[in-house]
Amino acid sequence: MAGAAPQPHTKSGKKALDAEINLVPFIDLLSCCISFLLITAVWTQIAGLQISSSGGPPEPQQKQEQTVDLKLLLTDKGYQLTMPGAAVEIPKVASVSGQPAFDRRTLTDKLRTLKASLPDQTAITVQPEDAIAYDDLVSTVDICLGEQLRNVTVAPLN
Amino acid sequence: MAIVEPGKRPGPRIERSRVFSKKFTRGKKTGYASLMLTSLVDMFTIIVIFLLMNFSANGEVLYMSKDIKLPDAYHGAQLERAPVISVSGDAVTFDGHQVASTDELLKGDVLGVPELEDALRDERRRYETIHAEDVEHPFRGLVNVQADRKISFKVIKRIMFACNQSGFGNINFAALAKEGEAPRKVALK
Repeated sequence: MAGAAPQPHTKSGKKALDAEINLVPFIDLLSCCISFLLITAVWTQIAGLQISSSGGPPEPQQKQEQTVDLKLLLTDKGYQLTMPGAAVEIPKVASVSGQPAFDRRTLTDKLRTLKASLPDQTAITVQPEDAIAYDDLVSTVDICLGEQLRNVTVAPLN
Repeated sequence: MAIVEPGKRPGPRIERSRVFSKKFTRGKKTGYASLMLTSLVDMFTIIVIFLLMNFSANGEVLYMSKDIKLPDAYHGAQLERAPVISVSGDAVTFDGHQVASTDELLKGDVLGVPELEDALRDERRRYETIHAEDVEHPFRGLVNVQADRKISFKVIKRIMFACNQSGFGNINFAALAKEGEAPRKVALK
């Protein structure tokens, strides 16, 4: 296999300086690479939202004195954010399709405000009703994780 | 009569002549056509770079089923390889084997799912047997739950309870990874 085939002598007898690279083995290599990568390609990226259930051991928090027992209830009326001495109702609002949907934007804002006042808070307990869809549960857990509440516990409401 | 090529044809005497016959002989065309390969190589290189950028060494952790439409998540972590509990509208499967019907789990107030708990305990026993001497890989109780977005929490609750009963307290909810800020789907009042 010749990597570069030199040009034949010209009429004047001088050797030509241009060399032609043999591209065939390179194309073979690229074809193999493309085949391998296409076969092993993962087209859907799956994410994992790690939660602990109410029966599992809670992860210890470093500064217990600066955290509160934060609970987020998911009911058919909307969100209810509770902590000792305070409770915030976030009712459902009309979605684009006209159906009432959880107000994720307001929840994000509320959690952001809470996180700003309690920077050491990492734990939150999400308590959905039985009729709540998995989609709403996952999006709520996702919002909590996005607001740096990394220790999410999911427990039934009743 | 033989078919001849149109054009000038020398007479037999001129054709035999050393001097004049050269005028009538035509140069033979070579049978090889040179192919322009540079653009092909460019295209291949671009495809290889694109595929390499999308390459994931983890491979497929979950088997994507048509019955299960996963919700979206913007802050999820990389999903680890672990036993998978799939929940579709019809059935609950553990590593591909059906252990319960979703309708059954929607009925009644009992929390336990005995078939799922048995399967999980078997899995735990199998893991602990395999890794008995392996101190670096202790049993962490990791399990992936892959459920359709419309499944109600009542079903998920029972599955979580079964996981806890079997020692799988480290539950991962599977979702489709999205990038960027979450879209504002909710219309403001």
